[in-house]
Amino acid sequence: MEKLFLLAMNGLIWGLIIALIALGLAIIFGLLDIINLAHGDFFMVGTVLAWATLQSTGSFWLAFIVAPFIGFILGALIQQVVIQPIRNTAMLSIVATFGLSLILQESVRITYGPTPGRILPPIQSTIHLFGVDYEVYRLFAAVVAILALGGFFLFLQHTKLGTWMRAVRHDREIAVAMGIPAGRVYILTFAIGFALAALGGVVAAPITTVDFRGGVDILPFCFMAVIIGGLGNLPGTAAAAVLLAFVEGVIQSVTDPTVARIASLVLMSAVLLLRPQGLFKGLTR
Amino acid sequence: MLNLKDVHVHIGKLHILQGVNLQVKPGECAALLGRNGVGKTTTLRAIMGLARRSGGTVEFEGFDLASCEPHEIPRRGVGYVPQGRGIFPNLTVLENLCIGLPGRRDLEREEYVFGCFPRLEERLKQSGGTLSGGEQQMLALARCLMMRPKLIILDEPTEGIMPRLVSQIRREIHRINQAGVSILLVEQNVETALKLCPRVFLMEKGAIVYNGTAHELKSKPEIVRRYLGLSKQ
Ligand SMILES: Nc1ncnc2c1ncn2[C@@H]1O[C@H](COP(=O)(O)OP(=O)(O)OP(=O)(O)O)[C@@H](O)[C@H]1O
Ligand SMILES: [Mg+2]
Repeated sequence: MEKLFLLAMNGLIWGLIIALIALGLAIIFGLLDIINLAHGDFFMVGTVLAWATLQSTGSFWLAFIVAPFIGFILGALIQQVVIQPIRNTAMLSIVATFGLSLILQESVRITYGPTPGRILPPIQSTIHLFGVDYEVYRLFAAVVAILALGGFFLFLQHTKLGTWMRAVRHDREIAVAMGIPAGRVYILTFAIGFALAALGGVVAAPITTVDFRGGVDILPFCFMAVIIGGLGNLPGTAAAAVLLAFVEGVIQSVTDPTVARIASLVLMSAVLLLRPQGLFKGLTR
Repeated sequence: MLNLKDVHVHIGKLHILQGVNLQVKPGECAALLGRNGVGKTTTLRAIMGLARRSGGTVEFEGFDLASCEPHEIPRRGVGYVPQGRGIFPNLTVLENLCIGLPGRRDLEREEYVFGCFPRLEERLKQSGGTLSGGEQQMLALARCLMMRPKLIILDEPTEGIMPRLVSQIRREIHRINQAGVSILLVEQNVETALKLCPRVFLMEKGAIVYNGTAHELKSKPEIVRRYLGLSKQ
């Protein structure tokens, strides 16, 4: 029972972090038609930036600002250098972002090194919950993820740029004819996508490892969330990420992680067969 | 005011516009007529910088529109109501209206626009996709008015809209023109176009083949028949 609670909670919190990363993937796909195979590495870069901030300043907390900021800048640059030249070509985007993924991984391997490292949680205490001593940092991570998710949706619904992003997603040409600088919206979207993944990386850094291959496992999970949530449905994507990780957590409490991953793949296949438009399509606009 | 000189557009290997010459004077209401697929929409897209020109120039108030980014064209005073309305169904009516404004809202302008289209004011929070076809058309026109255009180009604004709303939209276009805004109207409905627009351009296979006043054209039914075929008389 304690094990179930522990793994379910871990799954839930992990799901909230994944939701942040998957949202970035979803907006990049929705607006730019880019299947971003480097998105997991954006997360990984976030974990490394957290480590680097801790090493150079002694403060982990600073990374919550530094990493998304650097991620934003990197995203804006990458969009213009790598993505812009191949705009609107889904096939090329796979090749280009796969190359980008390798470049990011190798850059980290050269600078950070090939061996996985750990960051100690900046909050060491535990709290007694349902007969388990639960790490307070994980609860804190959940709060940060929820705030960031909420902030992102508020941004999307209530700011000019958010409205522009929704307009460009629907019809780029008409958006331009209404005076929206679509090119700049693309750059900012990619930058925000990177920043969200990097923030996810910082939040997750103390509960996972810092490793140049740390994004490899994350990527398929994010894609599953995007697909199950219904392509282009952002709240659905976030909900699917949480649901998937929670289900995996619960299943892990009775078997091993591999079986749990197989189970969530089966879940995704079932969703695609029964509701190909995604689990949450039609519930949101 | 608006001056197209020998505009060419190629899409792939197809030569869609083959030298379009067209002028709209300040305050004028001009119609661009032609059969399906002759290049009317492409002409408007070329004006808005959405279709890449392979030759010729588009000048607006003496300024070559090719020298600015397409998204800057609306700010220079050219409003566009695309064919099929082109509103954003996933945005609210209010968001649609304010989409091109530099600030968040422009209350003074909203008042004017709601004066023209009171139906929209009742539906501000509704998403654009839930409006009827006619209301969407009003929204598209209102959205373009919000930017205080000096010239509005409209692509078949009455296509597929019920007759009662057609006459309202026609009336609003006339009123906007009376207020001093120039109009370039693409129409399938010859009757509407001749009633609204003193100046008429006829298009055929990517070029303007007739340029004259509506009055002249009414006395030349053979031209109408030749270039517009069996269009409703
Ligand atoms: N993106 C495109 N790719 C290929 N052909 C195109 C494209 N856009 C337009 N065309 C072709 O260019 C020609 C002119 O099209 P356009 O839409 O300008 O016609 P139109 O006069 O507006 O017709 P309608 O009255 O039906 O709206 C058509 O033959 C059309 O098939
Ligand atoms: Mg057309």
